Amino acid sequence: MNNINLSCLGIGERAFITGIHAPDGTRQRLQSMGLRTGREAEVIRSPRLGPMQIRVGSVHLIMRRRDAARVAISSGQ
Amino acid sequence: MKRLAIVGMPNTGKSTFFNRLTGSSSRVGNWPGVTVDLLSAHIVLGGTAVEVVDLPGIYDLHGFSEDEQVVRNFLENNPVDLIGVILNATQLDHQLPLALQFCKLGVQPHILINMIDEADQLGIRIDADALSADLGCPVHLLSARHGTGFNEVRESLAGRVNQAQHRPLDEMRDCLHADDEIVQHSDALIGRCVTAPSVLVRKMTERIDHVLLHPVLGLPLFFAMMFLVFQAVYTLGGPLQDVVAYLLGNFKGWALEPLAATLPAALYGFLIEGLYDGIGTVASFVPVIILFFFLMAIVEDSGYLARAAFLTDSLMARMGLDGRGFVMILMGFGCNVPALMGTRVMRSRALRWLSMLVIPFSLCSARLQVFVFITTALFTAQQAPLVLFFMYLASFASAFLTATLFGRRFKSDEPFVLELPPYRTPVLKQVLLRGWHEISHFLRRASTFIITGVVLVWILTHYPEGSTPGGAGTWASLMGDWMKPVLDPIGISAAMSVILLFGFVAKEIVIGAMVAMTGLEGAALNGYLTTQMDTTQAISFMLFILLYTPCLSTLATQFTESRSWKFTGISLAWSLSLAWVVSFIFYQGARALGY
Repeated sequence: MNNINLSCLGIGERAFITGIHAPDGTRQRLQSMGLRTGREAEVIRSPRLGPMQIRVGSVHLIMRRRDAARVAISSGQ
Repeated sequence: MKRLAIVGMPNTGKSTFFNRLTGSSSRVGNWPGVTVDLLSAHIVLGGTAVEVVDLPGIYDLHGFSEDEQVVRNFLENNPVDLIGVILNATQLDHQLPLALQFCKLGVQPHILINMIDEADQLGIRIDADALSADLGCPVHLLSARHGTGFNEVRESLAGRVNQAQHRPLDEMRDCLHADDEIVQHSDALIGRCVTAPSVLVRKMTERIDHVLLHPVLGLPLFFAMMFLVFQAVYTLGGPLQDVVAYLLGNFKGWALEPLAATLPAALYGFLIEGLYDGIGTVASFVPVIILFFFLMAIVEDSGYLARAAFLTDSLMARMGLDGRGFVMILMGFGCNVPALMGTRVMRSRALRWLSMLVIPFSLCSARLQVFVFITTALFTAQQAPLVLFFMYLASFASAFLTATLFGRRFKSDEPFVLELPPYRTPVLKQVLLRGWHEISHFLRRASTFIITGVVLVWILTHYPEGSTPGGAGTWASLMGDWMKPVLDPIGISAAMSVILLFGFVAKEIVIGAMVAMTGLEGAALNGYLTTQMDTTQAISFMLFILLYTPCLSTLATQFTESRSWKFTGISLAWSLSLAWVVSFIFYQGARALGY
């Protein structure tokens, strides 16, 4: 179950972030934008073409699927 | 002189606060230790002269993006008496850690929790006193947009800036506390001092996004909206332009000509036909530019730009760019210079350079002014908008071609993560202020160029003595002859090639240069243009103007932002060759087809 990441979630699904697998600079960036370990993330939009819209707490982010795949999650509810 | 620095994350209303605090007095300036220009203003707070500096929006004092380095370098190299940290009240869980980073450095910042009106609507309650007690520094709730709580903030800033002492910050990065520790402290504080509904629903924003970010309808709606913006600029700007031209013409007829009539003929020609007419013709385009900046300020203020990035990202990804690049290209339609500076949000050099290579092809307001002028003179009222639309298409096509060709050389794996703020109704005063900043900046830069350019053109086209003004024997016509072998195959006449030389400095000069060179204006100048080019040549000329180089300021910005002569050189060489090849193919092709 180690390979579950944010890009696997469907619209409306939520999960807790367990870590970010990326080089230091990128990890720092993603964390400072709200993607921190222990926070709950929800997928708001996930169009077939184009980036995903993610909500973490009060923040809405758009990010590419490729980058969402760097965010590890625990299989939530 | 005391110094107050304003910091905060993007989308917190930092600029709105800065504008409300400083009014319209701000200016752009250079600072020790930082390579970029920052906005600052001198104001009087509680009887003390205070310099307020608006630092770039950052997410994290720890980070590595250029803006984050700029903020650190600024604070390390410039003594600051007081730091104001602006936070967004609706996102305290996300933003409080930034304020805590400052608190733990021991600087005791002034914490300004902004957008309290939005927080109220969402049912968020913040106990500012409890926050203040825990952090040991003042905490205020306010709405910079509507002014709620602003007077109290002003007073308390005034009180503290008077007593504050310069505090040098050294090696900030090393002094920062561990991120985890800060986040834990922040979460604990929020648990105690903030009550919020468990899930915040952005009802209105969600409803609008349901339509505007629709998988199928989103992009067409986006292009329709952009089309409307440009349409509005022309429909409203055209009549305004006539009014300015009419006023300037009358002033000349009633006051200037009788006054100057006593002057020697050469001086009269220089002052009236050169300087006044040249600057006047350019000035009549100012309303169009003002409208453009106001409308862009509205689009920016509403929160739609982030949506534009969302919608266009998959298209841009194929060319090695991202949605932010598209937004910068759009900004470039106003002026390339701020668009180039906007690429600072990109951390990867490859991505940034590629974006900076593409942006100069955006048809900026200065080039638009030239095209409006030429299309009005040479095409029918029905044809003119189509020709203009064609120029916009050519602009996009060149940008895409450039990105695709160079995309392989500039590869990056920078994450594309962007905040999607809620929609906000633009506030008139803020839009006017923002528009005003842009326009005054533009005019200050343009006016020096225009006056110098117009004077130079007038001299080159009227000397050496004894030559026909604007005709054979002048220095300008000699230069035109040199360029003939290159510009003849693309249908550009000798007289017009001189104009191109000046257009290299700034497109704002082009029309003024035509006036100064010929001594004609209005309908007579339009008539002169028809003797210089037919419609096919006109389009070839405009394609060349669109692509060959935006202006010296853009080149200078490319250099200061990339700090690489090689990059700037490649960009210039590429745009010059592309311009010639495109014009050549168009002109020879059209001629071959019998046009």
